[in-house]
This record gives sequence, structure tokens and C-alpha cells, in this order.
Amino acid sequence: MAAPIRILTAVPICDGHDSAINTINLEFIRHGIEVVYLGYHRYAEDIVRAAIQEDVRAIGISSYNGGHVEFFAEVVRQLKKRGANDIKVFGGGGGTITHDDQRVMQKRGVDKIFFAGTSLTDMTQWVRDRYGKVPKRSGGKTPEMRLARKLTEIEDSYANGKRPKKKKIENRKSKIENTKVIGFTGPGGAGKTTLIDELILRLLHREPKARIAILSHDPSVVGEGALLGDRATMINSQDDRVFMRSMATRGQAGGLSPATEDCLRLLAQSGFDYVIIETVGTGQEAMPFQNKLVDQTVLVMNPDYGARLQLQKIVMLDLADIVVVNKSDLDRAKTAMSEIERRLEGSGREQKLISTVAKRHRDRGVDELCDLLGREPEKKKK
Amino acid sequence: MSKLGRVIEAVEKYNQHVLDEVKRARTEKRFGKQLLDRWDEIKRNIKVGRAPTGLELPRLALPEIDEPGEIARYLLGDGLPGEFPFLNGAYKEMYLEPLQETGSYAKNGHGKNGHGKNGETAVAKLQETEEPTRLFSGMGLPDDTNKRFHYLGAHQRSKRLSTAFDGPTLYGIDSDADGVFGKIGEGGVAVDTVEDMERLYAGFDMGAPSFSASMTISGPAPIIMAMYIAAAKRRFGDSVVPKLRGTIQADIFKEVQAQNETIFPVEASLRFLGDMMEWTTRNMPRWYPVSISGYHIGEAGSTPVQQAAYTLSNGFAYAEMMANCGMSADEFGPRLSFFLDCGLDVEYIALTRVSRRIWAIGMRDAFGAGARAQMFKVHTQTSGRSLIAAEFRNNLTRTAAELMLAYMNGTNSCHSNSADEPFTTPSEEWIRLSAHGQAILLDESGIFKHTMNMLSGSPGMKAVERAVEAAILEEFREIERLGGVLAAVENRYQRSQIQNAAHRYEQQIYDGTRPIIALNKYRDGAEEMPEVELVRTSRAKQQLQVDRLKKFKKKNAAKAGKALDKLAAVAETNENCFPALLEAAEVCSLGQISGRLQEVVGRFRPMV
Repeated sequence: MAAPIRILTAVPICDGHDSAINTINLEFIRHGIEVVYLGYHRYAEDIVRAAIQEDVRAIGISSYNGGHVEFFAEVVRQLKKRGANDIKVFGGGGGTITHDDQRVMQKRGVDKIFFAGTSLTDMTQWVRDRYGKVPKRSGGKTPEMRLARKLTEIEDSYANGKRPKKKKIENRKSKIENTKVIGFTGPGGAGKTTLIDELILRLLHREPKARIAILSHDPSVVGEGALLGDRATMINSQDDRVFMRSMATRGQAGGLSPATEDCLRLLAQSGFDYVIIETVGTGQEAMPFQNKLVDQTVLVMNPDYGARLQLQKIVMLDLADIVVVNKSDLDRAKTAMSEIERRLEGSGREQKLISTVAKRHRDRGVDELCDLLGREPEKKKK
Repeated sequence: MSKLGRVIEAVEKYNQHVLDEVKRARTEKRFGKQLLDRWDEIKRNIKVGRAPTGLELPRLALPEIDEPGEIARYLLGDGLPGEFPFLNGAYKEMYLEPLQETGSYAKNGHGKNGHGKNGETAVAKLQETEEPTRLFSGMGLPDDTNKRFHYLGAHQRSKRLSTAFDGPTLYGIDSDADGVFGKIGEGGVAVDTVEDMERLYAGFDMGAPSFSASMTISGPAPIIMAMYIAAAKRRFGDSVVPKLRGTIQADIFKEVQAQNETIFPVEASLRFLGDMMEWTTRNMPRWYPVSISGYHIGEAGSTPVQQAAYTLSNGFAYAEMMANCGMSADEFGPRLSFFLDCGLDVEYIALTRVSRRIWAIGMRDAFGAGARAQMFKVHTQTSGRSLIAAEFRNNLTRTAAELMLAYMNGTNSCHSNSADEPFTTPSEEWIRLSAHGQAILLDESGIFKHTMNMLSGSPGMKAVERAVEAAILEEFREIERLGGVLAAVENRYQRSQIQNAAHRYEQQIYDGTRPIIALNKYRDGAEEMPEVELVRTSRAKQQLQVDRLKKFKKKNAAKAGKALDKLAAVAETNENCFPALLEAAEVCSLGQISGRLQEVVGRFRPMV
């Protein structure tokens, strides 16, 4: 089976009109396209950075508030500047983009403009036809782009039923010494993405030169598309020091993708100070991180896990290094903390339990968690 | 239980009360007699007017009932126009032309004095002395919009200016910020500083009773409000403040649910809005500090019931917030006004009627509000989403049908969209047609000008009312189960409901269960889309805005730092920060203020 088409969609800066793009995203997904959705009110710079890191075939921009001629052209210009002109740009603006605008925009390198009245079916078909063929692409001009394209190679090999040429990866040291790999898991809705984004804010501030990679996962079924939407809610991770990659699980259970392990190994070898991996929100019946690359595992819980008995079924409570009870502004949080504390006593391991409200600005619990994620001092020296 | 829970209870209780009273009217002779007497008296006092054809008609139409139980059901369940629970109208008389017998045949303003740029015509009260027209504009730099305001208002005694802002302003970003250059002055006016605000309303007497300003902005509303006050003080002195008249949208809930122009986390946004509402309610008695808007919820794709349910529940949440600030319902209630969308779905036959009823019962019984604070005052706009580009002239018919529905519901004012809107900023020709659509309906046709209740209360309308009210209450219950409006918002309940509805709508168009003429039914394939001239802001103007802002920042650098420090310090406490905001607005730019406040409270994390 051919690897799914990956595209990125977004709404420009100072524009919150996301109704059309939400509907279009759903239609794309239903037709087997993996959509990395960046959200609304996004700078051209953030769109281009994300498109390169996610190594998408094309960027779809839905604009409504005007200024589209400049904005689309700016995206194309920045792609070129970063050597990524094989990532195409298409989009639409309902009635706001005129035929004259379209001509100017296409002259400046925009692939296609859809006008009001185009059916979702026609649009999806066009995208599939146009971006469905696997193009011959360069290996990438910058280290970031080369890394992104290697990740695509790995992912696509798995999708095509072949394992990638392992040697390329395994010949190198299994891991660079001072890269710290942290795994985040926990049920859906516990606030993992928000928590990670808040940690990124603190890590970037605490270590002004640190570079961080994030590998995030969203669920998908074999042969179908996926909405990879974590980036849309992350406001602190749109930074040149953060490399983020969103992956669909492509039918694999357990919250990770078949390609995750190889991708993680590659990231761990690529010179980042931190590599953060986030699973899909799943039942916590087992440890999702099988390989030894992960240094520290964090289980993020929601205080509303149900009856106390439920805790016995959560195997991750025995295995995680740090357990976080997020959303601890909820009524049930106090009870949850004490129940989980009791549960952890049974594990016989030294585990940390932290309570956070990730959505709260400058939350002390998140500060505390961030302190626990420091690298070992002796490893800090290069 | 949140206040919304009490509203649900109040409506259920009131409905039961009506049933009980119906029964009592039928069984208790004395009560029955009282009702019959009152009914007779009401009928006796109805004046008779005459249509141009000579036909005599009552000024108020009532159902033909003479049985005490039915009279009780009508008077208590629906209420006469202008009476609790206001199902039939917020006012006793609306849209009616003056009685021919009494006084001259002087017409009300609409249709005679021309219309605003986008055909907005308000016709709330006969005795209104100012023109009902709001002059809507927002383009380019403040000077451009100002020029437009003067042009539009040249022949009007009263100046009611409605202002649209550009993208950077709506997001609290300065024009000189990286990456927003092309957006300056697009789709609205660029306002960065108090000086821009002065330019925007230059030449208008901001404190005059004939002047009022409406500002369509929510995320940075408190900052823009502070700049507006600062600008007025610079020109007219401190004494102008209590005289300022107008409204600012300031509806953060609908932003988070649908429109996405939010810059602070929800709770912080609400705190800043609450501070502003409290300050303006106490210091500016003629200002409406929030316009609770369902329009954007409807346009984002909600069902009509969702639109009404979320708008009403948002309204009750603001009311609760203001009550928590220590204000009484009678103090803040009359300051709340609403803005709804009207499309073609069957619910619109009674959506506003039902909303008015629920609001009145909720305000009276859950908030203890008196009559003035029970009234749901609403501006309606026809649905932009219902208009399509293919064979766009059909949009005239769509808008006409929507106008009819809006007036059947007793809207206090109405804006009709232009048929060419699906593909362009409205042009003069189509604006004129849309405005005239309202005039034809209200002035030319006899549908609304002779008799109140002309189209109220048909059996079909009653059926829709019952179904819609039940569905709205069901939405309320779900929101209440989730912990109230704020908790539901944080759970992205409303957002996901709206998105699902939007997607279902698209699917229905695709599978044909929702016929759209010339799109999926009776389509002839011929596309006609006239090329139009657009209003765009030139690069030179955009550069001018940036240069002016830089100059302002340089001039005020020292003072700005101090003002921002003070503002940040107050924002860290629980005190009302609007006074500090007023000081900062004198010397700081919009982006400086929003940036500094974001350092204190954080940035809004988008929801998908």
C-alpha cells in the first residue's frame, strides 16, 4: 500500500476563520490524506518551519481576512529561501480572493487557488491527483530538512511494507550521550500536549541554547487519513530551536506508529538536547516505550479516571518514572492525588508524583516537573 | 449549580406555572372572571387604524379566545407585545406607522434618509428621534475611515458610527510587528494608538447626544475601550466621559466558541472584560459594554438551536459575572444586548421569539431582574452563509425571506446582506438593493405597518416554538452537566458541536438532502461572477501607519515603560485594572499593552 499523502493546512496570521478549513480537513482525512493542522492565526514563518519539519507535500492555506496576495507569496518566498520549493502551496479564500488576485498569486509561485463554490469532492480529488504521485525530491539543503526527509523515508518504508535499511541507522552509535529522551503517555484528554508545550516554554528559557525534538502521535487506521492536530494548540513550540514531527499510528495499537522506534532512534542521534515523545491517548495497559532509548517516562493522568479500582488496571503506574496528575484544579484532584499516592506505594520503586494545572500560566507544578527533567550534570559537558 | 442551572429550573417552573394557572382559570370562578374582564379591557383599548385601501384594522391582533383558561395561557405563556415574558415582542409597538387619524403622516426615518454603507436599518421604536441607520465602515488607515464616516453621515442629523477593525488590531498586534504588514488596514481600520483613535473620530462631537460609536472587537476590547475614552478626553476634557454613547462587542465566549479572535486565556479575558464592564457601567451610563453575539456562532456553522442556546447561555454567564462584581441585575441587565443570525431553516420562524422568552424568565426568576432588565434587545443580520456565488442574484430572494423571518420575530433592528457578498466586499449597487429590501418590506408592504402580531402565533409557529424551546433547554442541560458555560468552553463542547453541525451541513449539500438552488438543484452550469473593484490598502499607506506608530513609541518611550509596569502590577492583583489601563492607553500602543498583559496572564491557547 502506498504511503498516505501528508499535507499541512493553516489559516494566516490575524485570521480566525477556521470553519472552512475544519470541514476541508475532515474531507481530506476521509479520503486517506494525513493532515498536519497548524490552526488559525499563524505566521508565514511558523507555517514554513512546520511544513519543512513535517516534510509535507503541500501547504493548504485558507484565508479570509484579506492580505492574501502578500501572505501566500511570503510563504512561497520563505520556502524557496529555505530550499524547500518542492513543497507546493495551494489554498482559497471564499469570495475574498478574486481572479485577478489568483493570477498574481500564481505568478508568484502559488500552485492553485480554489474559488467559492468548489465542491469538497472536487477539491479533495484535485489534491489527491496533484500531490498523490511520489515526487522525486532532493535530500534537503539544510540539516533540518535532511532530517525531516529521512524521517519520511522511514515512515514510508513501513507504509510500503518494507522495513527501512536498518544499517543506515544502526551503524551509528545507538544514541548521543547528552541527549535526553523523555516519553509522555496517558489517557486522551489528560492534557499531555498542553503540558509538553508548557515544558518547552520553560526548557527554552532555562537552557538558552538547547535544541528540542518532539515526536507526537495521533491515531489512524491503515489506509485512512489522520488529523495531526497537536501543533494547532501548541503556542510555545513554534520556535527555530524546536523540531517537531507529527505521526499517525497507521493502524498500530499501543499509541505509537510502526515507524516510531526507528524515527526515535534517528532523532536521538541527531544532536538534540532533549527528545520528547508523546503517545496517542490510550489505555495504559502496558509500557508503550519498548526500546531502551527512553531515559525517563512520564504518565499524565486526568483526576477523573473513575473508581479507585481503575487504578489497579493501569500498568503504567508501576512503570512510569514520574506520574503527573494534571487538571488538578478539578474538584476530584485531591482525592485522585491521595489515591494515586497509595497506589504508587505498592510499586516498590522510587517514583515522583506531581500535581499540575498545565493550562494555568506560570503553574508551579509544571515548574516542578521541569526541574525533574534536567539532564544529569556529568552528561551536560560535551 | 451554576446560574444556568437556575435558569433551566426557572423556565421549567414557569411553564408549569402557566399550566397551573390555566387550570385555575377554569376552576376558580373569581380568577376566571378577572381574566375575562382584563381580556375585555385589553380589547377595548385597541385602537383602529386604516390601510391605504381604506380597510380598517386593529393596531393589535389577538387570538379569538373567550375562555378563561386560554386567556391565561396567552397572557402568561406568551404575553402581549411589550409584556412579560415578551414572546410577542420587547415593545408594545414596533414597525407600525403612526395612526392616520392622530397627527400627520410623518414617516419614520427608514427608507427616506438613505441607508448606511451596508444597509443597516433599525426600526425599534416609533418615537425614536434619531435616524435608525448605523454607518458602518472600517478600511485602511484611521484617516480613510474617518473620511468615509463623514461622507456617509453628511446628511444625517445623528451620527451613529459602527467601526470594523483590521486583523492586527483584532488580535492586539501592533502594525509594526513582524509578519503582519500585508494585513494592515485590510478588512477594517488599523488602530495602534490613542492618536489613531483621535484620527478615527476627528471632526465628530464625541460627547454629543446625537453621536454614538459602535466598535466590533472582542479580544482586546478593554484596551480599545480605554483608547476610545482616552481619545475623547484628549479632545473634550474629562467631563466628556459620562456622556459617551455607544457599544463595544467584547463577547469573549463567542470568540472562543466560534470566531477565534482571542488573545488572553479565557479566564483572564473574562477578568479584563469584567473590569471594563464594571467601570463603564458605573462611569458611562450611556454605554453598552457588551454585545452578546450569536451571529458568528451561526456563521461558523451551528444549527439555529445551538446558536440561540449558546448565545443565551453566554448572556447568562456574563450576567452572573457582573452579579459577582457586586452589581444588581437592574443595574447591568439593561446594558446587555444581543446580535443574532437569521437564516432559512425552519427554526428561524420563532428562534428570536423563544430567545426573548427564555431571557426574560431567566433574568426575572434566576437573577431577580425588573422589567427593563428582562428585555432581550436584539439586532439581527441575515445569514451570510446562506448566500452562494452561483447565480448570485438568487441571494436577493434568500435575503428577502430571511428579512421576513427576522421581522416576524420582532427584531429591534436588522441588517440585510448584499447579494454579491459571497465573492466580494459589497458594491454600491447591491448594497442599495439589500437596504431597499427592508424598506419594501416595512414601508411599502402592509405586512408589518398596520397591526402588531400580524404574523405571530400561528399553529405552526407555536409548534416550532415548543420544539425550539425544548431543544434549547436540552442544550442548557448539557452545558450545565459539563459544569456551566466556562467549563463547557474549556471542554470545547460548543466548538465541537458547532463544527459537527457545519460538517453535517456540507454533507447534506453534497448528498442533496439540503437543496441549494443553482448549487445542487436546478443548476445550469453557467457561472457568472462579475469582476469587481476592490478596496485595498496601498503599501504606502501601510508604511505610513508603521511610521506613525514608531514615532509614537519613540516619543512616549519613558512614560510607556512606567505605565506598563503599573498596569502589570495591578493585573497581578485582584483589583480592577481598568483605571491603570486608561492611563496606559494615553502613552502605550495596543501591542505594548497586550504584550505586557500576556506576560502576566499568558497567551490564549487555541482550541481546534
